[in-house]
Amino acid sequence: MTTATSTANPTAPSRIARLRAAATAEARLLLRNRTAVFNSVLMPLLLVAAVPALGIGGGEVGVGPTMLTAAVVISLVYLTYYNLVTTYVARREDLVLQRMRTGELSDGEVLTATAVPTLLVTVGQLLLVTAGVVALGEWTAPVQPLLVVGAVLGGLVLMVLLAIASTGFTRTAESAQITTLPIVLVSSALSGLFFPLSVLPEGLANIARFLPVTPVVDLLHLGFSGTTWEGDPVGDVSVWTWAAFPAGLLVAWIVVAALLARRGFRWAPRR
Amino acid sequence: MQTLTAAPPTGTALAVEVTDLRRSYGDFEAVRGISFEVRPGEVFALLGVNGAGKTSALEVLEGLAAPGGGTVRVFGADPVRDRAAVRARMGMLLQSSGLPGDLTVAETVRSWAGTLTTPRDPGQALAQVGLTGRADVRVRSLSGGERRRLDLALAVLGQPEVVVLDEPTTGLDPESRRQVWRLVQDMVDGGTAVVLTTHHLEEAEELADRIAILKAGRIVLSGTQEEIAETQPAVVRFTLDDDAPALPVPDGVQVVAAGPRHEWHTRALQPVLAEVLAWAAEHGVVLRHLQATAASLEQAFLAVAEGRAGDHDEVPA
Repeated sequence: MTTATSTANPTAPSRIARLRAAATAEARLLLRNRTAVFNSVLMPLLLVAAVPALGIGGGEVGVGPTMLTAAVVISLVYLTYYNLVTTYVARREDLVLQRMRTGELSDGEVLTATAVPTLLVTVGQLLLVTAGVVALGEWTAPVQPLLVVGAVLGGLVLMVLLAIASTGFTRTAESAQITTLPIVLVSSALSGLFFPLSVLPEGLANIARFLPVTPVVDLLHLGFSGTTWEGDPVGDVSVWTWAAFPAGLLVAWIVVAALLARRGFRWAPRR
Repeated sequence: MQTLTAAPPTGTALAVEVTDLRRSYGDFEAVRGISFEVRPGEVFALLGVNGAGKTSALEVLEGLAAPGGGTVRVFGADPVRDRAAVRARMGMLLQSSGLPGDLTVAETVRSWAGTLTTPRDPGQALAQVGLTGRADVRVRSLSGGERRRLDLALAVLGQPEVVVLDEPTTGLDPESRRQVWRLVQDMVDGGTAVVLTTHHLEEAEELADRIAILKAGRIVLSGTQEEIAETQPAVVRFTLDDDAPALPVPDGVQVVAAGPRHEWHTRALQPVLAEVLAWAAEHGVVLRHLQATAASLEQAFLAVAEGRAGDHDEVPA
């Protein structure tokens, strides 16, 4: 080498330092992409703002918990999931993922670094909506905050894994608009967010209860306002008893999504 | 490695050790058992036409794919299983790889440096590939050659001890190519082992200490440039008028074309040439368009590509 190494005993940068270096670059890219900024910052806020106008919720549950539940689900699906599918596919098709694998980052670190900015924006959105709800004087303390936190964290993990899995059948960043519809439209619509699943015919309701977004909504309803998937108060039974089923289902979906991600993900474009 | 104590007979001295490497895609066997070694401070070039299996072999060396058979070791470690350890000492340039267009050149280098154990100074790295003046330009606006040089700057940013370069100068203008060669030569002078593939025989001649010519997944010729060239005969060409006296054919000449345009192949160029010149002087004959060409790497490469060499090496003609 023509240049001397400046440090006598070089130590590898910590995992965190490496991730931060790669994630910072990814954050710059996100901020410089107008479409992504619109999709990830404005769109979810507009959708959440529309919630009271649409007259969703109401009744037994206050506006605050309804808006927060909607904010979590819309952010998870529309921002975390959709944005990550398009980002991973775009980076793959541009051969950027392939190049990131040629350095010292592990495969997991490459995928994580790419997701970090989107995850931070998601969390930022949720804090923003929470602040808005407080400012509007609609804040009511969650019945069981742990369920809310669990739903958000579990939902984030699930959405990242589903996004990675979805890249397997998404050829271009543009075609993500279609390949993401099963989650963005179907699973979200039938998640219990917009109407209690109990209003559906029994057969459809039973299917809808098992879709991936549904357990997140169930846990949020239970955590924020103590209402069940049928929209009723939990009553004498403990919130935790009601939470067992959606929590187990969420974990099961995370496992399934991880397996699908492992099978379907490619680092390079199909030649 | 020079030590005063008795060095172990194997292992430490080799930067790269590839043994009977195989790789298949479905029924197609792209790499069919190749072996080579590279020592620190040495440049090893893999030559071959498209589809010969160069990139498929390199991907295993790079740790991006598992071998179908055989072993690959970089400083004694497995590039797939011990990836973290190997990567800290290894740099690589893929044949085609992407850089995000919306980052500037400087941002690209700085963020890559942040992921490395022993990064070089980013400014110095850019200077080395002649991109100092382009530091604040978005990657999207770079020319193809500039982008390739940035690729290379990233590949060697971690001060690697082993560098794998897959067609490093394809698509570069002659000046950029020389710049890349200088950079590679500097690294080699500092003890870095380099494995490269190239289409440009000139590049192999300029950089490589040893060369292997790959065909259909096998190494059909390997050695130094001279050794490879020597597998081919020298060529003597001349034109004789029809009324010239009968031409005696010296020993050790294979007549490829006879009269009026003669082409001889021989492994004893000097005596054959002396003999034919003496004959011409004696009979007062003019050998028009006389040409004598020593065997070259290019000739060996073309012979392999056309199936005239390599596969038949052990078969006496």
